Order: sequence, then C-alpha cells, then structure tokens
Amino acid sequence: MTDPILRTEGLIKHFDGVVATNDVRISVPRGELRCIIGPNGAGKSTLFSLLCGIHRPNAGRVMLKDEDVTHFPAYQRVRRGIGLTFQTNRAFHRLSVRQNLSAVLQIPRADRPADADDRYRFALDRFGLDADSEMPAKELPHHRLQWLEISMVLAAGPDIILLDEPTAGMSIEETLQTAAVLKHLNSSGLTIIVVEHDVAFVRDVAQRITVMHQGRVFAEGTVDQITEHADVRRIYLGQV
Amino acid sequence: MESFATIVSILYQFATNGAFLLLSALGLIVILGMMNIINLAHGELMMMGAYTASIAWHRGVPFWLCAILAFVVVALFGALLERTVVRRFYGRELGALVVTWGISLILSQGALMVFGPFLPAIPIPGGSIALGQYSFSVYWLIVIALACALIAGLWSLYNYTTFGLQARAAMQNPAMATALGVDTGRVYTLTFSLGAGLAGFSGALFAPTVSIAPFMGQQFVAPAFITVVVGGATNVITGAVGSSLLLSLVKTPVGFVFGAFVGTVALLLAALVIIRLMPDGVSAVLQRLVDRRNRFA
Amino acid sequence: MSHLLKLLTGPEDIGRSRWFWAVFVAVCTLLFVYPYWLSEFEATNNAYYLLNVPIALGLALLWGYCGILSFGQVAYFGIAGYVYGIVAGNMTGNAFGPLVGSLCGLAVCAIAAAMFGYFVFYGRVQNWIVPILTLVLSLLLETFLGQTAGYQWRIGTVQLGGYNGMTGIPSFQIGRFVITGYSFYYYVLIIVVVAYLAMRILVNSQYGKVMLAIREDPIRTELLGYDIRARRLVVFVLAAISAGVSGLLYVQWGNYITPSQVGLLQASLPVIWVAVGGRESLLAVLLSTCALNWLNYTLSSEGYQYALIIIGVLLVVVMLFFPDGIIVTLARDVPSRGWRALVGLHKGKSG
Repeated sequence: MTDPILRTEGLIKHFDGVVATNDVRISVPRGELRCIIGPNGAGKSTLFSLLCGIHRPNAGRVMLKDEDVTHFPAYQRVRRGIGLTFQTNRAFHRLSVRQNLSAVLQIPRADRPADADDRYRFALDRFGLDADSEMPAKELPHHRLQWLEISMVLAAGPDIILLDEPTAGMSIEETLQTAAVLKHLNSSGLTIIVVEHDVAFVRDVAQRITVMHQGRVFAEGTVDQITEHADVRRIYLGQV
Repeated sequence: MESFATIVSILYQFATNGAFLLLSALGLIVILGMMNIINLAHGELMMMGAYTASIAWHRGVPFWLCAILAFVVVALFGALLERTVVRRFYGRELGALVVTWGISLILSQGALMVFGPFLPAIPIPGGSIALGQYSFSVYWLIVIALACALIAGLWSLYNYTTFGLQARAAMQNPAMATALGVDTGRVYTLTFSLGAGLAGFSGALFAPTVSIAPFMGQQFVAPAFITVVVGGATNVITGAVGSSLLLSLVKTPVGFVFGAFVGTVALLLAALVIIRLMPDGVSAVLQRLVDRRNRFA
Repeated sequence: MSHLLKLLTGPEDIGRSRWFWAVFVAVCTLLFVYPYWLSEFEATNNAYYLLNVPIALGLALLWGYCGILSFGQVAYFGIAGYVYGIVAGNMTGNAFGPLVGSLCGLAVCAIAAAMFGYFVFYGRVQNWIVPILTLVLSLLLETFLGQTAGYQWRIGTVQLGGYNGMTGIPSFQIGRFVITGYSFYYYVLIIVVVAYLAMRILVNSQYGKVMLAIREDPIRTELLGYDIRARRLVVFVLAAISAGVSGLLYVQWGNYITPSQVGLLQASLPVIWVAVGGRESLLAVLLSTCALNWLNYTLSSEGYQYALIIIGVLLVVVMLFFPDGIIVTLARDVPSRGWRALVGLHKGKSG
C-alpha cells in the first residue's frame, strides 16, 4: 500500500490570539475523494490555507507525497502537484475566459500525471466552457465561474486538488453536475479533498469524511459511520 | 552638570525629532491610516495651514489663534475636496494616489502663482531656556507637548466618543454601519475634514521653523508617509506613536553625527529594514505582544 | 518567425486587424520619410517628443500590465543619464566611449532596480507602498545630486555639477559616426518602434499572460504555481531599463542633465502620460506620450508656471472621467463599425 499523498502532523495555527487549528492530524491516501465537513469556524478553510502554503503553521508539519513542505512557499507546493480553489471565487473576473485559462502554468513537471490534459479537457467539456471565449469571466453565471476556477486548477496538472465549498450558491442540477465531474476525475486517479456543507453532495461523492470542530478533527469515517455518529449532529446544533 | 546638560540635549533632540515625525504624520494617520486614501496632497494641506497662519499672523492675529484658524480653514477645504473628488476613489487606492497627486500640483503651483515665491516668515514665539552650553527653544517644548496632547485627543475621540465609534464602524463595514443608521457619507466627510484640518494645524505649527514657500509641503511628505507606513494598519494611532519613537531613535544619533541629510537617508533605510522585518508595521508587533501577555495572564 | 508574428498581433493591446497593421506600417513609413521636408532642428525636436516613449512604455508594462505603480521611474532615467555622462565623459577620445557608457548606464539601472525590487517584492510589502517609496527615493536622489556642486564632486574628469547639472555630455556614436541631427531622429525612431514591438510581443507571450494574472490576483496566481515575487522583480527591472533608455536618449539629445530631471515634476510626468493614454494599452501610452510631450514643449514657451497647473488639472480630470485613459476609452466605446474593424478590440461580448 502506498504512502498517503497528503498528511499533516499536529498542525496548530493561531491568528492574533484566536486558535484556528489545534493539533490537526489528517492523512489522505492517493486517489481518495475526501470530504471535510463541520460547522462554521471549525478551521476548515484555515486547514486548506496551511496545506497550500498561504499561511505557515505555528507548529506541526505538512507532508506532500512524503516531502515535508511545511515551510515551502505556495508556488513550490503547487509545482509539486497540489491545487486549490477558494471559498470566494477567485478566477480572474476582469479577464476573459480565454485569458483565465491561458494564464496557467505549464511547467513540465517530471511527474505531471499523464492524464492531466485529458482531465482538463474533460472538465472543460462537461462544464461547458469555451477556452477561446473572450467573454469577461465576471459575466459568467455563478456556477460557471466556479467551474472555471476548477478548470484553471486542473490545467496545472495537479495530483491532488482542494476545493473549498465549490457548490455554494449552486442549484441542485448544477451541484449534481459538479459531483458527477468530480467523481469521474477521481476515478482517473486524481485525489480530491472537498470542504462542503451540502449533505446530499457529500453523501454522493465522499469515500471518507473528516469532521472538524473548533479547530480539531472531531471524527472521521465512512459516510455511514459519520451519518450515524450522534455527536456529529450535535456539534451542528451547538450542543458540543 | 556638563554631562547632565548633554543628556538633556540628546533627549530634547530625540523628542523634537519624534514630535516632528508625529506632527508631520498627524493628518495622514486619519486619512491614510483610517480611510486608506493615499493622499499625496498631504504636504500641500500642511502648506495651506502654514499660509493661513502666516497671512493671519501678519494681520495681527495672535499666533495660537492663527494655528486654530489654520485648522478650520484647511478642514473646510478638506470637506470640499472630499465631497467633490475624493469620495469617488474609496476602494481605488492607486486612483486616489494619482488624483491627489494632481491636486497637489494644482495647490502648490496655484500658491506660487497667487502668492508668489515666498510668504513673510513668522518668528518663533517664546524664547529659549539655557542649560549648560545648550539652549532649548521654549516653542519646541510646547510643540512636543502639543503633539502628545493631540495624539491623546485623537485616541480619545476614536475610542471614547460616539463619533469615534460611528467612524470606526463606517470604516470597517460601511454596509452594516448604514444599516444601523450611521450616515457613512457624513462620517467620511467629517473624518477626511478632520485629517485635513490636523494637517493644516501641523503646518501652522511648523510655519515659524521653516521658510513659507509653495513647495514647503514636500519636506513633510516623506517623513509623514514613512511614519504611518512603519506604524502599520493594525492600530494607526499607537502605530504612529511607536514608529515616531523608533524612527527618531535612528535619526537622532545619525543626524547628530552626520548632519540632517544623512539623517533623512538613515530614516529611509531604517524604514525599509523595519518594513522588511515587520511587514504589518509596529502596531501589529505591539498587538501581538499584548495578545501574548493576555493569553498567559 | 510565424510564432513571433502571432505574438505581435495578439490580443493584449489595441489593434489586431489587418487594417490596423496597414495603418501602423503606413504611419511608420511616413515617419521615416518626412524628415525630408524638415530642417535638422525640427527633426531633433521631433526626436525629443519620441524619446520619452520608452520610459512611458516601461511604466505601462509595470503599472498597466502588472499592477505595480512606480512613481520613481525617473530615478532610473537620471541614473542612466548621469552614469553615461560620467563614463562617456571620461572616455572622450575613445570612439566606443558612448557605447560603453550606454551599457554601463543600463547596467547600473538594472542593478539598482534589482536591489530595490528585492527589498520590496520579497519583503511581501503591500502594493501601494511601492509608489511612495519609489517617489521618496527619487526625491532623495535629486537632493543628493543637487548638493554636488563643489569641485570635489567629480568622477575622473567629469563634474557632477550640483543643481546646474552635468554638461558637455558626448553624443552617441558608433565608431567614427556621431549621431546628431537627422541621424539622431532615425536613431530614436528605430529604438522607439523596436521597443514598442518587443513589448507587444512580451505582453502577448505566456510571460505577459501571467503578468496580467499577477495584476488581477497575486495570491490566485501564486496558487497556480508561479513565483510572483520573481516575476514582479523581472518586470520592475525591465521597466527600469526602459526608463534608462529614455535617460540615455535624453542626454544624447541635449548633451546635459540636471538633478531636476529626477525631481517632483519629472516624476509625475510618466504617470500622467500613462494615465491619460490608458495604462492597459501600450499603443495608447505611446500615442499619449508623444502628444503630451508635444503639448508640454509648446506650453513651456508660455512659461513653466502654467505647465504644472495644466498637468495637475489634466490628471484630476482624467482620473475622474476617464479612469481607464482617454485613448483606451475611445478605442473601446466608439460604436462605429469602421472604427471597431480598425481597432479590432477583443473586449466586450464574445464573437
């Protein structure tokens, strides 16, 4: 069995006295589709920013493909195969769709996955995006904008992508479409970690769920294990 | 006695350098620090204050009244400027920078055309106190005290009054503040006006110490921006106080040994190094220290 | 070669259609030919309107395409001019003195810019600090140069000259051929056209696309795998070298330079040229720089006083009513079909 593609040890991060993540330990095997859930303020987005290098932890380590990247700047981690979409959409809104997609790195990585181009083109096709369109990105409907950002991240040819609430604001059909694309990408070997609130979505795509609460990993397990977990429901109601 | 006088002299120079930085920065603390408007016309607002003071003084108005008049005049001008031009640039930092640069050119060049190359000087009020081989200007001692008082006043205004509360709310979250009944437009105008008035007041205070000319504002622009930037945005008032002290700590000995120009160069280099080490400014570092003490309390 | 041509006609600047390039070639030809009807004096005047184009293009690259406003481009203008004056001035007998001087001038610009850029971009300092710091450094340079009046302020045989500046700076020459008068006009024209075309190729290249991304959202760009600090540094150095080119052309035109060239007014001029034309288009900046330089020269016969006020008013008006620049706004918003065909803009609805 291969080593996990991404794991952390004792990640602690605080901002001016507020503890955002408190000794977070996660381990994601290659090719898994993991969902991270938890009430607001649980530290999910902070965890993502620590994994990608937007912030440095106060303590702990981040291991990407068995390499300690804790102190690597973000761009070096991306070049080693990780990608991220943001909670608030950060495609280049003023630029055209074409400009958005052409701005992506194509540095030949020695271990760029063979499927990278296929995955990218598949996503463009299923998301209905025209790579030559001169339409400014901000004129896209919200769900297409989210899909645009995902496609941009795929264009870089990552081995693992982190998606922060990608279906927020989407309709049911759009959410289903997103889920279908993610499952297909995952079946080709792409590791995906998604932060999500939509229960149906999580049930549909997740192979494993990590529950976070108050900066810690509260519970972890399969979909069934988590849905039957009594305390998980209670943390959402503020009872824990 | 000799060494005591020398120590006092060094402290005095330290205090005057610090007061110079703090007063230069005073108006900018409000406009840049709180409103995030990069006001390149700051020097010209100070110039306006100095001009008002000079014109009034030569009409027989007592000096301290001239300074207050300078505050009022420049504050009114600031309100006018905010209503007509500045308010279109909230959120557009580089745009504000360029447009205030244009305004600074109009003001300085306009002053030259209307008033000529110089205005008559104002002699420094008050005499001097001798101590050993040194003499200290009473005026500067008062200015130092005024700088402290003004900063304390600004602090109280923003932390202990309703206006201050509304202003902070309007800066942080305008939509929410409006929803709670705060007239954000009025708050912005008043705040900008206050910043301008303070710049004018500082300009009037400096008027007796410099030659009153159209481009006199330029000598304050660099120190003002450096002080505010090094202070940082976490808490603009404590930041400015902290950075004035820190920068004066660098400038005083260097200026003492190598002269004013090298002192200014040292100031700039110190600012560059400080920014490199503390990108969020002095106030962020202070805040972190306070947080750490609170957590272990 | 065809790849280069494709980059040249790419969409990141105004003008894509064949009509546009036809007009462009026609105008260039006209510019090459028309000195036939000019006196040598008029030709060198026209060269003066052109020689500020490189510094403006460099700023457009830095500000318009990469999102970094530098108020101190003139510092590099001055550094190149002074260094050229010192080196070429000390090599007056030597036919290659000016060439060596020019290379030294540009090299010093690049090094100075790299040092400043390292401090600023690797220090993760906020973006808006760059304009202030660059302005302050430029003013410091002016003050320093201004107090170099004494005889002791000389390097080799060349006096720095304090506020009166450095005089007797040699013109540029290649071997025995000294470039003045008509030849100077062609020299500047060629440099300007080459600079514009080279920059146009750059902004259409992959490098240019990433510049746009850095301008729009640096964090997003870094999270796509780019080292934005290094890229910003490179663009900053390129802009400094462009400014240095203008500085060289200036001293090779007038054979003198004064500290006021790095002072307050001069520092604001490139920002104005770029803001008025439209910082997001190299072509717009090229046109506005020539036009405004012509205007400035004409105005300065009215007296220096008015020039500053007019410039101030122009800045305020343009920022209020044409925030994207006059030429860019015109190019974008004029509805006539013929115009759109000429300009061949990509902005607006697709198709």
